[in-house]
Amino acid sequence: MAAKDSPLKQFEIDPISNIELGGYNISFTNSSFAMLITVLVITLFLTLTVNTRSIIPSRMQLISELMYNFIAQLLSDTVGENGKRYFPFVFSLFMFVLIGNMVGMIPYQFTFTSHIIVTFALATVVFIGVTILGFVNHGIKFFTFFYIPGVPFYMHPLLIPIEVISYLSRPISLSVRLFANMLAGHTLLKVFAGFVVSMPFFTGVFPLAFIVALTGLEILIAFLQAYVFAILTCLYINDAYHLH
Amino acid sequence: MPQLNPEFFVSQLFWLAVFFTLLFVFLWRVSLPRIATVLEKRQNKIDENLSSAKELQEQAMEIEKKINDQINKAKLETDEKIKETINALQEDVSTQLSSLDKSLEKKVSDAEKEILKSKDEQMKNINNEIAKITKLTVGKITNIELSDNELIKIIETHKGSFN
Repeated sequence: MAAKDSPLKQFEIDPISNIELGGYNISFTNSSFAMLITVLVITLFLTLTVNTRSIIPSRMQLISELMYNFIAQLLSDTVGENGKRYFPFVFSLFMFVLIGNMVGMIPYQFTFTSHIIVTFALATVVFIGVTILGFVNHGIKFFTFFYIPGVPFYMHPLLIPIEVISYLSRPISLSVRLFANMLAGHTLLKVFAGFVVSMPFFTGVFPLAFIVALTGLEILIAFLQAYVFAILTCLYINDAYHLH
Repeated sequence: MPQLNPEFFVSQLFWLAVFFTLLFVFLWRVSLPRIATVLEKRQNKIDENLSSAKELQEQAMEIEKKINDQINKAKLETDEKIKETINALQEDVSTQLSSLDKSLEKKVSDAEKEILKSKDEQMKNINNEIAKITKLTVGKITNIELSDNELIKIIETHKGSFN
């Protein structure tokens, strides 16, 4: 357990209401609350801004359309025509991670994307889904994905295990990337926030100024990581359609 | 690190599943189709406007062509009319001139004839007058009564020496 003023204290989970189901602890926690807020923000924003369905959009409607077009473009660029079927999933994933990160940027608000179990679960859903998709599209031939054509035959004993390992480590790299970015950013903010308090006289403004700049950077990273998560999902989907 | 504490793993996974599924279903069924309809509607409108603009442009070009055709036609027509009018006028002028010439010539010749005629008449009158005067003068001076025929004969013979 982290100490009282540890920078990691912000990642601690506090149950809001204790719920138990079939012997499992499924308490509604501050993390669940952040997820609830995220889902509410996304659904309300996307619903209310497009409520009028006007041909000439309001500014808010324009934001929703921009999001839509952004992910649609991403999918069509990476996967092509086949990608349209996965649009709702990739869009949900992107929005969930993005708004989850952004909600985490609100002071005293919990960041659920800084929890490896959450990001790993999301990455695993993508990984399993893409693997099933690969087998559905190519059957047993999907295993040729690990065989790299145009390489000298004696390299294969080396390359095939590497390919298998890299494929299997996809969910880990996908989840750890997001988790580590969020963890590092929020920890750093907290560390410098501690400096603001502990430094003598007015010198606390320097770490404060740094926090302001870092917050800007964190918002950028929040967007960037959501984008990376989405684009990697798209690339994996593409791999499930097109073997080498 | 609180992240590695398995105490709340099940809770995290449970609520993640619940909320993400909710989000996914809601976006899939409600939000995204809405945005899609709006985008489609706008695209349709744009396409419609573009095609109608194209149509209008074509119509405008057609009208312009028609106008040009008519202008050209009108130009040709006016040119022809002008030429025709000029020709007609010239013809008219020349006929009028020639008729004028003719009438003038006729008038001149008529006048000449008239002049000749009146000259002859005058000459005859003059002769008669001369004869009368001569008869009177001779009668008064010499008391010789000359007959008219004699007188005329004498005058005729001396006519040349009077001039």
